[in-house]
Amino acid sequence: MIELRKVGLKYGDKEILKNVTLTVEDNTIKAILGPSGVGKSTILKLMLGLIKPNRGQILVDGTDITNMKETSLYDIRRKMGMVFQGNALFDSLTISQNLGFFLRENMKLPEQEISQRVAEQIQFAGLEGYEDQLPESLSGGMRRRVAIGRALIFKPHMILFDEPTAGLDPVSSKKILSLISSLRHNNNLGAVIVTHIIDDVFNVADSVAVLYQGEIIFDDVTEKLHDANHPFIRSILSDKILEL
Amino acid sequence: MPVMFIRGLGIKLVLQLKAFFLTMQEFFLFSVRAFMSFPKIIRYWRDVLDQATICGTDSIPIVLVSAISIGALLAIEVGNLLEDFGAKTMLGRSTALTVIRELGPLLMGLMLSARFGSRNGAELGAMQISEQIDALRAFGTDPIAKLVMPRLVAALIMFLPLTALSDFAGLQSASYMAEHYHRIDPGIFWNAVYPRLVAKDFVVGFLKAPVFAVIITLVSSFNGFSARGGTAGVGRSTIKGIVVSSGLVLIANFYVSKIVLENM
Repeated sequence: MIELRKVGLKYGDKEILKNVTLTVEDNTIKAILGPSGVGKSTILKLMLGLIKPNRGQILVDGTDITNMKETSLYDIRRKMGMVFQGNALFDSLTISQNLGFFLRENMKLPEQEISQRVAEQIQFAGLEGYEDQLPESLSGGMRRRVAIGRALIFKPHMILFDEPTAGLDPVSSKKILSLISSLRHNNNLGAVIVTHIIDDVFNVADSVAVLYQGEIIFDDVTEKLHDANHPFIRSILSDKILEL
Repeated sequence: MPVMFIRGLGIKLVLQLKAFFLTMQEFFLFSVRAFMSFPKIIRYWRDVLDQATICGTDSIPIVLVSAISIGALLAIEVGNLLEDFGAKTMLGRSTALTVIRELGPLLMGLMLSARFGSRNGAELGAMQISEQIDALRAFGTDPIAKLVMPRLVAALIMFLPLTALSDFAGLQSASYMAEHYHRIDPGIFWNAVYPRLVAKDFVVGFLKAPVFAVIITLVSSFNGFSARGGTAGVGRSTIKGIVVSSGLVLIANFYVSKIVLENM
């Protein structure tokens, strides 16, 4: 479980997050919805301890990570997988090497087990035959699936997605969303999805938090979003995609 | 109106100073973390070898070209000057001192600042803006130990032989020009070199190699890690890395010479 308690963050004079309180339960999919540049991705980085808040607390499975040292954070981070918006694949490594990179780096596993886990993720992502290709030779959807495979290879409890369907064509988007849904059903994984596409929320999320001007203005099960009266939520429900 | 203008300038200056000191603090912590990662050298020995190839073996051509050209030019110019005083036989002595103490290491430092430093800045900057460095941290790998420490170790190891190579090539080209341009017998040239060189001359020259290695690697890597603002940001951070490290190499060159020559 991940909890943010009254988290505030400033970059210079600009206040990005104001008193954000948020809970992500295990085995559920939580969406964070909001316009671009509002601080949604920042929330994911806070959850991983990649950046520190100016105030408030962040807890992962009951452990306060707010002021934890970088070296102590590594064990916490391995409980979560992260899929970055731009995939953040290592462009000089092949798909197989990308998938196995962190296993070789951080876990003392025999090479045979690493190869087996890589093969599982290749199969899961439907990338058989592309093992020795470089990321640049794959399509956007394929690269996203490699990034998901890389996040899953550690067998984390929770997976964090930063705009999982951004920049993808409708067919690839649909594939990625069904992949995310299958993770909870087949792997018992929880997930946090940051998105500005409201259809993604209704397609996969159990609950949704809406971030607007640095504050959470709605946090409840997805179905109740239709009942919200906030003018911003009414406007996004009518427009569907937040192009702000 | 002038009061407002002066106050505005004052505020701007204070903000710039604050930003400067914050950057210095970040750079200091970055450098400490890079040195503290040295125990992980066994884990990252392959990365050290890769970087040693990049900053060492691959840099040989540019180091040779610069050393040969400066050695040859030095021999011509200094030879002309010495001729006026009838002291052409001292060409070997003056060329050797200049090349071994100053120009050999300095040119190597500047060439590697441009070659190795720009590569570091661009590569790490591109990794930063494409979130690859965040990905390393997110999956539990220390990016400084993985990316910076191997570069630093490789530079510390490889800059020494490159300095020796630069000195050797510079002196050989000076000897060639002495023989073919000034008609000085090679025996006379080298006799003016060998017997007169003392340990101090080599200490001055070779002490600069590790100093330059630290400056170039840390400054360029820090700028790569600090890249923001897309591809233009990578360009800016790379240029900044080269300019700052080249400037620091020139300053360090002066102080290492001064300190060693005054104390040995």
